[in-house]
Formats: sequence, C-alpha cells, structure tokens
Amino acid sequence: MISSFFASIGEKFLVLSNILGGITYLFYQITVALIPPKFDLDEFWRNLYKMGVKSVPIIILTAFFTGGIMVIQASVFVKKFGATSLVGWGAGYSVFREVGPILLGLMFSGRVGSNNTAELATMVVTEQIDGLKALAIDPFRYLIVPRVLAMIIMLFLLTIIGTVVAIFGAALFGKFIAGVSYAGFWTSFSQNLHLADLIHGLIKAAIFGFIVSLNSCYFGISVKGGAVGVGKAVNNSVVASALGIVIFDYILTYNIT
Amino acid sequence: MMKQFLTNFFAAVGDKTISVFTAAKTLLLVTLNIFRGIFHFKNREKGEILKQAYEIGNRSFLFVSVTLSALGMVLVFQVCLQINKITGDQSQVGPEFIKGMIHAFVPILTAMMLATRVGAGIAAEIGSMKVTEQLDALRMSGVDPIDYLIVPRFIASIFMTFILGIYAALLVILAGAFMAHHSFGVNYNVFFVFDKVTWGDLIIGSTKLLAHGSAIPVVSGYCGLTTKVGSEGVGVATTRAVINSSLAVIILDFIISAIGLMTIQ
Amino acid sequence: MSIKFKNVHKSFGNKKVLKGITMQVQKGEILFVIGTSGVGKSVTIKHIIGLLKPTSGSIEVDGKKVEHLKEKQFIPIRKKVAMVFQSSSLFDSLNVLANIALPLEKHKIVPGDKIQDKAMQLLTEVGMEKYASVFPSEIGDGMKKRVAIARALAMQPDYILFDEPTTGLDPVSARRVDKLILRLAKDRGTGTIVVSHDLPSIFGISDKIAMVYQGKIYFEGSREEYQLSKDPIIQQFIKGTSSGPMETPGF
Repeated sequence: MISSFFASIGEKFLVLSNILGGITYLFYQITVALIPPKFDLDEFWRNLYKMGVKSVPIIILTAFFTGGIMVIQASVFVKKFGATSLVGWGAGYSVFREVGPILLGLMFSGRVGSNNTAELATMVVTEQIDGLKALAIDPFRYLIVPRVLAMIIMLFLLTIIGTVVAIFGAALFGKFIAGVSYAGFWTSFSQNLHLADLIHGLIKAAIFGFIVSLNSCYFGISVKGGAVGVGKAVNNSVVASALGIVIFDYILTYNIT
Repeated sequence: MMKQFLTNFFAAVGDKTISVFTAAKTLLLVTLNIFRGIFHFKNREKGEILKQAYEIGNRSFLFVSVTLSALGMVLVFQVCLQINKITGDQSQVGPEFIKGMIHAFVPILTAMMLATRVGAGIAAEIGSMKVTEQLDALRMSGVDPIDYLIVPRFIASIFMTFILGIYAALLVILAGAFMAHHSFGVNYNVFFVFDKVTWGDLIIGSTKLLAHGSAIPVVSGYCGLTTKVGSEGVGVATTRAVINSSLAVIILDFIISAIGLMTIQ
Repeated sequence: MSIKFKNVHKSFGNKKVLKGITMQVQKGEILFVIGTSGVGKSVTIKHIIGLLKPTSGSIEVDGKKVEHLKEKQFIPIRKKVAMVFQSSSLFDSLNVLANIALPLEKHKIVPGDKIQDKAMQLLTEVGMEKYASVFPSEIGDGMKKRVAIARALAMQPDYILFDEPTTGLDPVSARRVDKLILRLAKDRGTGTIVVSHDLPSIFGISDKIAMVYQGKIYFEGSREEYQLSKDPIIQQFIKGTSSGPMETPGF
C-alpha cells in the first residue's frame, strides 16, 4: 500500500519532469530558430488574424461580464457604507492588475491555445508534420515560431481591448445595478488608478501569452495515438496553461509591484 | 456593390442566428433529457456516479489546491498593498477578504478551473467514444448515451463542485491569512473574523457552486456528443467544451451575483 | 546514382524492428519493398529522408552518407528525395492548388509569378486540374494520393518514395495510381521506391523486388526471379494463404 503510494508519486514526478524537460527543450529550439529571426511571415500574418481577430468576440463577452461581476463586488460596500467613491477604483484596480489578465488569459488559452494544440496534434497524427519535413520545410520556422509570436502579441493586444471593455462594462452595470453615476465612477477610477496598474497587468498578459503558446505547441507536437490522443492533448494543454498562468501570476505579482 | 455587400452581410447574420438558435435548441433538449434521465435508474450502471465523483475529484484535487491557494495569496497581496497606500489599517482585510471569497471569488475561480479540467475531460472522453463508434454501439444495445454517460457525470459534477468549492474556500482563506501575516504582519486572530459573513453570502456562494457544477457537464457533454467524425473532431470538441463551459460559468456567475446584490445582500 | 542501405538496424526501445537491411535502387528503376503488415517496410524508407535515424548501419544517397546528418543538413537530401505518405499528408488548411504551390514558393523553384501556372501544370499531369480550389477534406483517398504525388513532383526530385500508395483504394483507383507511378518513373527517369503489399501493383509495375521478412531482406532480385522462386515463404506470400511457414507479427 505504502510502496505503491510512493511508486505513484514517483511516477507522477517522472511524468512531470518529462513534460517540463520537453517544454524547456521546445523553448530552446524556438530561441535557436529566432537567431537569426528567420520564420515564415505568411504564416505569422495568417495566425495573427486567425488567433486575434477571431477571438475578439469571446474576449469582449468575457471582459464585459467580468467588469459586471467586479462592479457588483465593489457595490456590496456601496450598499453598506454608501461609499460611492470606491466603486470605480475597486472595479478598475481588480480588472487592471488581477482579474483582467487572469480571466482573459484563461479564455485565450481555452479559445486559441486549445485550438492550436488540436491543430498541431491533428497535423502530427495525420503525418502532416512529416509531410512538411519531407518537403524540406522546417516545421519550427514554418509552424511553431510564427504561432508562438502571434499568440504573445495577440494576448497582449486582446488584454488591452478586454481591459477597456471590462471598465466600460463595470461603469454600465455600476450605473444600473448599484446606481453609481458615470461621472462618479470616472472620478473614482481616474483619481485612484495609475498607469503603473495597467502596465502591471499588461506585463502579466505578455508572459501569460508566452506560457499559453509554449504549452499549447508542446502538447500539440508531443501527441500520441490517433484522434483519441488529440482530445487528451488538448485537455492536458489547457490544464497546464491554467496552472502556468496562476503560478506565474503569483510569482509576477511579487516581482513587479 | 453596396447591395451585394448588404445581401452577404444579412445572409451571414441570418446564418449565424439560425445556427445559434439550433445549438440553443439542442442544448435545451439535452438538458431536458438529462433531467429526465436522472430518474431512469435502470439505465445507469451501479456505482457509476461514485466512480465519476471519484474521477472528477481525483482529477481536480491537486489542480484546484495549487491554483486556488496561489490565487488566494495573490488577491490578499494586492488588497494589502493598496490599503497600505491609502489608510494603512489592515484590520479589515481579513473579514472582508473572507466575505468576498465566499460569495464571489471562490465560486467563479473554482468553476473556471473545473471548466478547464473536468469540461475538457468529459468532452475528450465522450468525443473519443463518438469517433470510435462506441456511442453507436451503445445505441445499438438500446442504451441512451445521455442516461448512461452524461447523467452520472452531471450528478457527480454538481456534488463534487460543491465539495471542492467548500474545500477551496477554506484553503484560500488559509493561504490568504498566511500571506497577510507573512508579508504585511497581519495577526491571525485579526484576520480570522467570520462575523462579516452573512447567510446571504453563504446562499449566493452555494447557489453559484451548484449552478456552475451543473452547467459544466451539460455544456461539455453536449460538445462531446456533437463531435464530428474525423481526425480533428475530438480536438475541436474539447476546445469548444473548454471555451463554452467557461463562458457559461462567467455569465451564470454574473446573473446570480446581480440577483444576489439586488435581493439578499 | 543510387540509394544504398548497408546493414541497417533499427530498434524502438527494446523492440528490434530492422535487423540488417541491405538493398539499393538506381535512378530510373522501380524498386518494390514488400512484406506483410507491421514488418517494418515504412520504417525502412523513412530513414532515407531522416524522419527516423538508424540504430546502426549506413544509408547513402548518391554517395553521401546520411545516417549522422542533423535535421538542418537533411534539407538538401529532402529536396532531392521526395516522399508520398500513406495518409497523403495533405495540409488541411490549404486547398489543393495551394498544397502544391507551397514547396514551389518556399524553395523558390519557379519565379513568384509562375507559381500558380506551374502548380496547375503539375495538377494537370496527375489529372486533378478540375479540383484546384477544393480542400483536401472534400475529396476521396485516391484523389488525395494524386495530389500528394503532384506535390512531391513539385520538388523536381531525383528519387520518389511511395508509402503504400494503393492501400485503402478501390481496385480501379489503385491501378490508375500504379499507371501514374510507372509513367513518372519512365518519363522523368526518377529512382522510385514503393512500399507495398498489394500483389497486382507489385507484379504490375516493379523492376526489382526487395522482400522484408523478420527484419531482414529475405529476397532481392528481379520480378521474374521472384515469381519463379520455389521458396516456401515467397510462395506463401504470392498465394496469400493463411497456413504455411511464414510468421507474421501479431497473429
């Protein structure tokens, strides 16, 4: 019983170090492919469009309701203390620094990261990656690097859009649910928040984009076993991205204050 | 030119609307069938609900523990930092944090994590069964896949989301207290004050957990059942499950929060 | 001008798949690598373009040893040796024409403004010109195979490797693919290696046959020699009988 318990821990540890090793190696390969920065520009533009433009609706929807949820939390205080001057600040602060980057990062991982894993994994199981190699095209420069770069850039830009929409949503719901006037919201928002708060969130967004891109590419190209394997790869990729986002959020919050 | 553009535009909008309505209709039918299926005891294997509860719990325990305790510490850190700048009075951090966690942050964050872990798992599993024709084999032997596959996951998910939510709340509060004490010198006995927590908070928090716990298996089960056959089918279904169940959680959370604020808080 | 295998071994973990493969193909010649399923035929030819690395032994392409080359050093080899995969491995995200245009464009084989024309010409050569703007998921397996062949031709290769080109096709499509392979090899003078267990194609178009059995080349020689062989294992393979001396993995 006890030995099997330790055996299972040991096994998990091996699997985990295997994954971490794989991701580190992928990171190394990407860095190598970037020196000199020769990668496929057509694929890069195509992915910017596909990952960015097509995620705008889901990001807007998420951000809008996130702003709403945040303003409701802040409104609990308004009801209790009549502290209208706190609403804009409270909602803005949490959206800028924490809830915005995390929720948008998770949604991006769900929409773009998992899609990317599914696509790459399908290409592996249907021999399309070998097909590329056979055509003397380097899969790293053609497939992986453009996707990694596109994801980092797009999560960063989408977080800017998302933050604006979330604040807009917070102001709107603040008015209708908590009865805070737009002017009151804006005063509280603009007087207490600084550019530093926004930058804090945007740095996080760029790093979350990197985490999601590495994870989703790694689990995509290391897929095993047919269509069933593709599903598993997507599942593992989103879980690893969520873990990565939360853990790095913790590390980053400490280091960029 | 303009006319053609408008025609195309309206055709696209109409197309989208129709597909949204078809999806909504199917989703509604699946939900109704699930509720009906709860009473079809004969179509379930014995112990299947327990097995699924174990699966969901086992799959998510470590994941929820790591993510939620990290998030708890981060949230306390940000709050204390801001208070330090303004008043410096940290005595209210604990009670307000505990209250906020229970009615707001723990339900949505736990559910978002479960939407990723459990939702993707359910869709990948059922989607794989679809492409390997196991679902057809079930139907051929006269078993309804909804009764047999989705209902046990539905019941197990509601139950386990609730339990994991309570566990996560305790964990987050402990992690938060640790952070507040460690980095800002807040005493544990000042932090652990539960009298700000009202029945309303508990009711809202529980309602959210129950709603999210039931939405995740319905949405991801639906995505799994509608998997398209082919090498990319399962991957696409899993992707849809993650994004749609996360979105369902966010919107449900918003609705319950709004109703809660206007009625009992 | 040839591809040569010398005593090539390959293991996956503890499983020894190839235990000493020695064979060669000249330019202008069609070599059929044959044997039962799972015997390591596809594994063998994937070594030539570096999709797999041998455990030991050597492989030469036009006198250049390739077994120790790094991924980047394989690029000139892959430009010279094209491969048509069993699953055709067309890119789902590109239409038929774009699939063929991709290597033309990436390797600047023809000037930018000629790419579409050249791709169309290749499609015509395999009889698929009507399907230029269709996506791979919308056409049947036989048609995919033709497109994959056109894409391989785009590389203007000296050698083409075919991995089970007729497996999974109906008999009529299979014979059409055979005819195409034969025409390409004779018209262009390419060296051709075909992995197959499809008897009609083996006896229809091969110049030479190499039979893989138990990880080794059991027979290498001309089609006539193979057909006339009295060897019981070869006889069993030709007749396709279930009883006999032949051992097949998994059964």
